[in-house]
Amino acid sequence: MTSSEFFGNKTRLAVLLFLASEGIFFAFLITGYVFYHGAVKNGPDAHNSLDVLKTGIYTIILLSSSATIYMAERALKRKQKGFSFWMGITVVCGLVFLFGEMREYMRLLQQNVTISRNLFGSTYYTVTGFHAAHVTIGIILMGILLLLSFRGGIKEKDHIGVEVISYYWHFVDVVWVAVFSVIYLWSTR
Amino acid sequence: MKSSSVFSPHSSFAWSIYHLNVFVLIAMGVILLLVSGLVLYASWRFRAIGGEGTPKPNFGNLRLELMYTILPAMLLAAIMVFTVRTMQSSDPPQGAHPDDVEVVGHQWWWEFRYPQAGFVTANEVHIPVDTPMLFGLGAADVIHDFWVPELGRKEDMIPGTHGRIWLAADRANTYSGACAEFCGVEHAWMRIRVIAQSKQEYASWLHQQQQTPALPASGEAAAGLNLFQQLSCANCHTIRGTGTSGTIGPDLTHLASRETLAAGRLNNTPDQLYLWLQQPDIYKPGSHMPNLHLTDMQLHSIVAYLETLR
Amino acid sequence: MSEISVLPQPMHDLEVEESRAGLLRWAASVDHKQIALMYMMASIVFFVFGGVEALLMRLQLAIPNNAFLSPETYDQLFTLHGTTMIFLVTVPVLLGFGTYIVPLMIGARDMAFPRLNALGFWLFLFGGFLLYFSILAGNAPDMGWFSYAPLSEKSYSSLGGVDYWALGILAIGIGTVSTAINLIATVATLRVPGMTLRRLPLFAWMSAVNSFLIIFAMPAINAAAAMLFIDRNLHARFFTPDAGGSPVLWQHFFWNFGHPEVYIMILPAFGIISEVIPVFSRKAIFGYGFVAASTVAIGLLSFGVWAHHMFAVGLGHPMDIFFAAGSALIAIPTGIKIFNWIVTMWGGTIHFTTAMLFAVAFLIEFTIGGLSGVIFAVVPIDWQLTDTYFLVAHIHYVLFGGTMFGILSGVYYWFPKFTGKMLSEKLGKWNFWLTVIGFNATFFIQHVLGAEGMPRRVWTYPDLPHWYWMNMLSTVGAFVLGFAFLVLFWNIWRSRKMGEYAGDNPWSAWTLEWATSSPPPIYNFAEVPPVHGRRPIWDLENPEHTDAKQGGRS
Repeated sequence: MTSSEFFGNKTRLAVLLFLASEGIFFAFLITGYVFYHGAVKNGPDAHNSLDVLKTGIYTIILLSSSATIYMAERALKRKQKGFSFWMGITVVCGLVFLFGEMREYMRLLQQNVTISRNLFGSTYYTVTGFHAAHVTIGIILMGILLLLSFRGGIKEKDHIGVEVISYYWHFVDVVWVAVFSVIYLWSTR
Repeated sequence: MKSSSVFSPHSSFAWSIYHLNVFVLIAMGVILLLVSGLVLYASWRFRAIGGEGTPKPNFGNLRLELMYTILPAMLLAAIMVFTVRTMQSSDPPQGAHPDDVEVVGHQWWWEFRYPQAGFVTANEVHIPVDTPMLFGLGAADVIHDFWVPELGRKEDMIPGTHGRIWLAADRANTYSGACAEFCGVEHAWMRIRVIAQSKQEYASWLHQQQQTPALPASGEAAAGLNLFQQLSCANCHTIRGTGTSGTIGPDLTHLASRETLAAGRLNNTPDQLYLWLQQPDIYKPGSHMPNLHLTDMQLHSIVAYLETLR
Repeated sequence: MSEISVLPQPMHDLEVEESRAGLLRWAASVDHKQIALMYMMASIVFFVFGGVEALLMRLQLAIPNNAFLSPETYDQLFTLHGTTMIFLVTVPVLLGFGTYIVPLMIGARDMAFPRLNALGFWLFLFGGFLLYFSILAGNAPDMGWFSYAPLSEKSYSSLGGVDYWALGILAIGIGTVSTAINLIATVATLRVPGMTLRRLPLFAWMSAVNSFLIIFAMPAINAAAAMLFIDRNLHARFFTPDAGGSPVLWQHFFWNFGHPEVYIMILPAFGIISEVIPVFSRKAIFGYGFVAASTVAIGLLSFGVWAHHMFAVGLGHPMDIFFAAGSALIAIPTGIKIFNWIVTMWGGTIHFTTAMLFAVAFLIEFTIGGLSGVIFAVVPIDWQLTDTYFLVAHIHYVLFGGTMFGILSGVYYWFPKFTGKMLSEKLGKWNFWLTVIGFNATFFIQHVLGAEGMPRRVWTYPDLPHWYWMNMLSTVGAFVLGFAFLVLFWNIWRSRKMGEYAGDNPWSAWTLEWATSSPPPIYNFAEVPPVHGRRPIWDLENPEHTDAKQGGRS
């Protein structure tokens, strides 16, 4: 496929433009976090509050879901079986990630690390909260795909719809890589 | 009222901006004349009068287009060189020079602190003539901006930060300025007066401001002092020597030595001071100065007292 | 070809009659033409709001120490005026032109995503309602359209106006981005065969570049508005200095959006001018490549100059110089455009229709705004003049003298296509001259007022030398300008019913929107003419002198 064929599909083009816009949105949120990195002198911050190891595990689960949605898409493209299976795994990975993030939130809230506590709280919850909202939307979209495929409704000709949802999901993963690197891996002093 | 024009510079800083300003205005004026001349000439010369054939199309001329790409670029480069030089001369480095005056912007008045002399005043700032003074800029609530057009650049006063600009005046005079960043309801009545004085007058003004005014012993003024201490005035205002220490409103220690009231809203006469105390909400609606619903007698007493604060 | 003739033609479009069958037809429409007209009509309504707000402000400022309005009311008026004119008038009316004209120009049946198109419009309208609902909720926003923190924070704006502002901006932002994506997808994928990118009409070019700006600029304000809303309602600390938050961060975020936004408001107007001037000069555009490429250059540069709005912040000389140089650079591609338009007129046969009058006036008025923009790129002058009436004059010469003159030119140019009727040229000339006189009387003097030290956004002012008569002149001019718009509205109202029939191509124009009936049928084209150059209708009508044969590159 040449690049003009690739971008010549209006759905693909529109979704890529949308994701570019979304990418800028997250870039600004993350910039806000980076701007205030180290601004908290006393009190909870990334260094003394976050659970890097556990979140790292959930991160691996989320990232592997990029591979599983790719498998689902490939199965559809090649008219093989397995679309529903791989899509189902992807949804489960997304749900597990959300569960992990919810546990992290609960733990932080118990330590009274809230969005209004200090600049770390404000930036941390805003960045991860918007990301979690995007994960949730992705799960809903993939859930709809799954439902349609159970009804036998997804055919190879619907490929572009599946493809752009997979773009969205990869995007959510890439954003998380940035978020995890900036917030969790850059938490040492 | 005094003018406050960028075209009547009264400091070396303002002069250097003025020169740049005139140069750029002339350059821009020439370009405007050129462009509008071409537009108007073409409009007249090539207007349809009937009987013309179809004009010959001209799809482009690389040489012409490059010319009006490059010539403006050269002019802009020249302007930028002049710009950088003027930035140096109009806003020179401050180095380790201590702040001569610290300005704190409040909603909607100015606090002026003289750290070396150790006193605080409001809304009117005195400087010695021909002596560059370093003004430190801060804000107590929202963003304000300190701007006296005849004396130099403006700079924002951002809460949590400390800016610094040079100010000077080449002639003994009163210069008018204003807050130049929208800061809420009474942004309009946040005017600045800079009073430039000869060095002797300035020294005697400093000396006078450092004094603690004598407490009136008897009469109406003493009654006024009592009221000032007992009513809620003291919650917001400070008058040195009276045990009051409010910081929400201006320091009133030498109120009677100032020319205006309420950041330039009224002239500082006993009559206008009376009106101001009686109905601040009429003269500066939205101001944090409350209407205390004082009686006529109370007003007279307080005015009598405040008038002693020379 | 040199005569502009108006041929009476019977109205025939069944679809248009159908489309008028009821309000539901409009509300449920996914037709790009109907959605575009709704964009424009909504913008006109909001323009009346914004205009009345402006006139009230000018009344208050007519004399010094005036007490006609309270300061609270005045602050709400200028906040609503700025937000309305930018987010609810200029951008949507230009998107309206884009969604109407661009598909027609490229020979398409509709936008790439008709339903997304409807979503974009309704989100914009919803955002507008949110903003104005704040008045009913008891408190309009009053912190200025750029909503500087910490004034916009809960401590200093405790009532709900700022929240409505932030939510309205978010809704408008999302709607605008979806329409922008739609426009790009339309231009990229729905061009009729033969219409290469190098043959794309300049209005479509600029609408597309403009859409890229929207896609990359809106997220900045969406992120900032979200943070502000979180600050205000969940007590976060992003922009509150007492907890370490930075008001300057808000300014960086805001102007990362705000400066490209200026170009979002001017580029489509450039596109309109690039269509109108050639048609009424009876000459193809001069230097198509430079005009298109300079648009891309402006688009790219516009993202690297935001901090020139912040020279007074005190970011330090190195930062200031960097952003000053970038800002000065933008003058170059902008100047290229102006000169290309002048050379297009040169040697032409210029027909001074109202559309052309506005386009010619645009050249001069916008040049004034552009040159005062260069003045603001000169840092020390900015230190003096920013946040004064000089700046108010500057933005109005850009956004009114530039954008609004372009829009008015577009209204007179395309109204026949929208409605099938001609606007009255006689009223048009009244409209034009009153606009020119009123506009310049209102705003030119404000340059002087600013230089004389009058800050912007003051609800009243002391009686300093010359301030009174200059303000009075400005107020009188504003009412003349207001009257000019009454003439326009009357012209639109009466022409819509009693105007002469336009026919398909009343101006003998050359782009594809004129190759179908006026108004176009619901399916736009029964047959799209072949496209072998930039002026398909010219090529069709002059097979002996096609652009290709005359030496035009394509």
